[in-house]
Amino acid sequence: MRALAEVDLALEAGKVHALVGENGAGKSTLVKILTGVEQPDEGELLIEGVQQRIADPHAAHRLGIAAMYQEPTVFPDLRVAENIFAGRRPRSRLGTVDWGAMKRETRRVLSDIEVDLDPDTPVRGLGVADRQLLEIAKALTAEARLLIMDEPTAALSPREVDALFAIVRQLSARGVAILFVSHRLEEISAISDTVSVLRDGRHVATRPAAELSHAEMIRLMVGRTLDQLFPKEEAEIGEPALELRSFTRRGTFSDVSFTVRRGEILGLGGLVGAGRSEVARSLFGIDPHDGGEVRLDGTPFHPRSPRAALRRGLAYLPEDRLAQGLVQTMAVATNTSMAILPRLSPGGFLRPGRERRLAERFMERLRIKATSARQPVEALSGGTQQKVVLSKWLAAEPRVLILDEPTRGVDVATKADVHRTISTLAGEGLAIVLISSELPELLGMSDRIVVLREGTVAAELTRDEADSERVLEAATGVRPA
Amino acid sequence: MKALALARATFGRWEALLVLLIVAAGAWSTTLSPYFLDTGNLLDLLTPYIAVGLLALGLTFVVIAGEIDISVASTLAVSAVVLARVWDAGANVWVASAAGLAVGTGLGLFNGVLVGLLNLPSLAVTLGTLAAFRGLAFVILGGEPVTGLPEGWSQLGAGYTGPGELVPIALLILLGFALLLGVLLHATRFGRYLYAIGSNREAARFSGLPVSRMRVALFALSGSMAGIAAVVLIGYYGSARADVGNEFLLDVVTAVVLGGVNIFGGSGSIAGVVLAMILIATLRNGMGLANISADTQGIVIGALLLGAIVAGNLSQFARTRWGGRARATGGRGEVPRSEEVAVSSKT
Amino acid sequence: MSARGTQAQALAATAFRLREFGILVALLATGLFFTLRATNFLTGDNLQDIGTNVAIVIVVAVGQTMVILTRNIDLSVGSIVGLTAVITAQTLAHHHGLSLWVAALLAVAVGTACGLANGLLVAVARVPAIIATLATLSIYRGLVFQRAHGVTINQSDLPNGFLDLATRKVLGTPFLLFVAVVVVVLGSAFLHWTSSGRDFYAIGSNPAAARFAGIAVTRRVILALTLSGALAGLGGFMWAARFGTLNAVSASGFEFDVITAAVIGGVNVFGGSGTVLGAVIGALLVGTIANGFTLLRISEFWKITFQGFAIVVAVTIDALVTQRLQEALRRRRRREVAEARAEARESPA
Repeated sequence: MRALAEVDLALEAGKVHALVGENGAGKSTLVKILTGVEQPDEGELLIEGVQQRIADPHAAHRLGIAAMYQEPTVFPDLRVAENIFAGRRPRSRLGTVDWGAMKRETRRVLSDIEVDLDPDTPVRGLGVADRQLLEIAKALTAEARLLIMDEPTAALSPREVDALFAIVRQLSARGVAILFVSHRLEEISAISDTVSVLRDGRHVATRPAAELSHAEMIRLMVGRTLDQLFPKEEAEIGEPALELRSFTRRGTFSDVSFTVRRGEILGLGGLVGAGRSEVARSLFGIDPHDGGEVRLDGTPFHPRSPRAALRRGLAYLPEDRLAQGLVQTMAVATNTSMAILPRLSPGGFLRPGRERRLAERFMERLRIKATSARQPVEALSGGTQQKVVLSKWLAAEPRVLILDEPTRGVDVATKADVHRTISTLAGEGLAIVLISSELPELLGMSDRIVVLREGTVAAELTRDEADSERVLEAATGVRPA
Repeated sequence: MKALALARATFGRWEALLVLLIVAAGAWSTTLSPYFLDTGNLLDLLTPYIAVGLLALGLTFVVIAGEIDISVASTLAVSAVVLARVWDAGANVWVASAAGLAVGTGLGLFNGVLVGLLNLPSLAVTLGTLAAFRGLAFVILGGEPVTGLPEGWSQLGAGYTGPGELVPIALLILLGFALLLGVLLHATRFGRYLYAIGSNREAARFSGLPVSRMRVALFALSGSMAGIAAVVLIGYYGSARADVGNEFLLDVVTAVVLGGVNIFGGSGSIAGVVLAMILIATLRNGMGLANISADTQGIVIGALLLGAIVAGNLSQFARTRWGGRARATGGRGEVPRSEEVAVSSKT
Repeated sequence: MSARGTQAQALAATAFRLREFGILVALLATGLFFTLRATNFLTGDNLQDIGTNVAIVIVVAVGQTMVILTRNIDLSVGSIVGLTAVITAQTLAHHHGLSLWVAALLAVAVGTACGLANGLLVAVARVPAIIATLATLSIYRGLVFQRAHGVTINQSDLPNGFLDLATRKVLGTPFLLFVAVVVVVLGSAFLHWTSSGRDFYAIGSNPAAARFAGIAVTRRVILALTLSGALAGLGGFMWAARFGTLNAVSASGFEFDVITAAVIGGVNVFGGSGTVLGAVIGALLVGTIANGFTLLRISEFWKITFQGFAIVVAVTIDALVTQRLQEALRRRRRREVAEARAEARESPA
């Protein structure tokens, strides 16, 4: 599967070039290639007319490419000046660290970008916004020619975004080329000179920002018709299974309310960082919450731990399959039985036969392509692994199932299998919350869609009301003209 | 070679290697002393290392779960001196033993609470308690040993049974616990959870496993084994001293690591650890026959410990570099996390 | 941005200043306690005694500080001190006329070799530091036994000029303490003024980011452990001069004095923060308590108990303070973002 194919981009010095696209459109792959984290299969890269290869992150540094991410990398124990100059501190003639020069230079760069931070401030005490600014200062002192900003505003408040943009404009005025990756259409219009749109790993369009309306941007980003990949069958919608009232975790999401009924698939849409996974994590008892009410099958439920949630029939398929979903070195059967082991091991003793039969049942039902139930999951493909995670949660026979990006990074065939399974489960009366960044999936599968924006519910749309424009409009807060 | 094939069929590759090494060490010992292959001598091989073995069994659980407990020998010492004191105060053997066992479990629980509930790194915590518990042992007993322990007790540590009074009772105790803990580790839910936590703690938590409780229990188990080791060891020596087990730590850690338990957690077997113990005992016995002093033996055991880890790292390196699928994590292109959570174990 | 920056900065800075300040207060309180309880505590002779005893701990703790800063640990220093002390003493016992400089150089060279081996094991062979140095602790101690052959070297075997080092004074301070002061000054300067020294902090603070920033992590970790070995070698030389009587178990368990000094002195076991000066205060606290216990005839056994629990308490405090601080800052941050967003929603531009 290709993450990215045939993208032609020309980034000009002194210009801000925005890169937009839905999740999975290939933006992060492109960023990874430019920063030397991943290698392209073909194509060429010219810097000031000279062909270059970016073999690793160091090579990117040397070529004057700097990148800043949503969550900046810092040394929390070191002070501001040292964070900016880590790995390339100025030296005095004696070969010692030239603190004077380092602090002077830091002060100069910071005042250049009008940031009021002392070089001696310990970084542990700084917020994300200030850490972002450190990254910019780092890029400046390294004399970067290309600065890649990957969703730099995701964790910033509007005022901080304004401050950041003022600095970005300054940088570009100085001749730095800037690649600005973002979901927020307003910000893109506000800051960029040129906009490139990626869709499904392909380069769709590059236009001057001034000529591109939000509506047009959305059309280019979505740009496909819904096909028959998403067969949500009619199911009888029953009693409310999961009810949230004013569910809140301060600073992360607030006042989130929705209801999911038996047999219903509720889509949870929104941009990255809108708080969808965070709501799910608090609901499943992994993160704490500060307020609100949760009811399962009409009776109050207070999420405390995943164990407690499981006992009440709530299951959560997490977004990060490798880190949260599976124990890579363990067998298919072992992973499948993980959440319901108490039931399979009376008296505390394992019954390998029962575990194997359980796994085999799911291998057949979900068409899991493994040589046997004893095969370690690390030897399986991404899609097959995802089916194993799904088996684990289905084995728990939940009444409410939260699926967080269940088809991320899986092949088309598996995707169809997963969708069919979800649909069948709903048909059997399971209440499902589907978190997905993929609009067609969300629109195709869901009976209803709740859209989150910045931690609050921005819209609730029925299947008939929902279309890509409306969902994106609610998610971005921008009305297509 | 037939033995190798058999071992290989029975255990994994690492265990087969251990069997081979044991045979080699045994052959070397035979050249040093014709009595080495004597049944009585063979059965007695492990007797001086029973306490080490019991501690290693407990530590195996801790390491498989991705933690470390270097305080085990000090815990043993506190158990031993409490036991002796209680007996000295007039209690009977059983009450005293129970007290020693309870103290060991309690100290393990202390470590467990700090690691499992407060999320402190087990390395730092047990480094501290390694010193603290040893000090406690001295505080409780002082520099003088308690001697004159009753006969029944020394039967446990130094007695023999079976045909011709050839089988050391302590050996039976060790093998009994190896069997018991082997079942616990390999055939129960508890053991399965340990492997899961040691392999991927986050996935374990997301799967609803009682991670904190397990981590507390782990150290309590390690402490209990130290308590049991204390009972046997006092029987073996016939006396209790505060510095008892002072030199055990190296052998214990070596047995676990040499036994094929991954020092970073997630894999290992009781069978491997038992084989490693036999190897260490055979080697030490052979070196004893060759008049190599106990302290020089430390050089060999230390080298063995380092060799075991380096060999493991090399095979891991070879696998990721030249064969099969690369592991999903790591690699050169790894992007650092914004801020590493300060509370992560150093091991 | 500035107002918040300053506030957060003040909070963080205070928390870390408190750490070293706290240990200083503990030192003074301990001193006061012993002064009140033991009449012979606050005398010139006794204070000098403490100074001379603590000197060796300080020298070795400077090296340990560097190792811990990189998020590693060196358990083998006690054995290295023992090994180099025995080698120094034996060499001088056989060659009375040998220059003390040469003897010192020999001790440092042996220590450096031991430290380099540790460094290679940890940084190149990727053996976790705790395991690697546990193994070399036994290996180096085994070497001590081989050298000593169960024989004790007595003061009478050693040249007077060497033993005089322990009693001689330079600028009014005991010579050994003077050496310690020099090491502390050089160590502090190294950590503050050299790129390598700063790299130690960066590596311990965020190893992945350090690699990403182009810092030669492998070489720096080797350097830290090698320096620790070298200073332990110097410590061994001082040990031989101070005690004169040496055998195969000299300085066993000494690693605990050193690690306790560093850890309670505020060198964070998670790496990345701590100073040589903190370790010095830690060493003084450990030394003062040991001395006070002796004066009050409290069993020496309490000392190690105290040290062990001190490590546990220091680690607990460090972890909780860091956790709390981080959590407090994050919570404040989340609240600010939420408020700013609410504000922005209410007043659409």
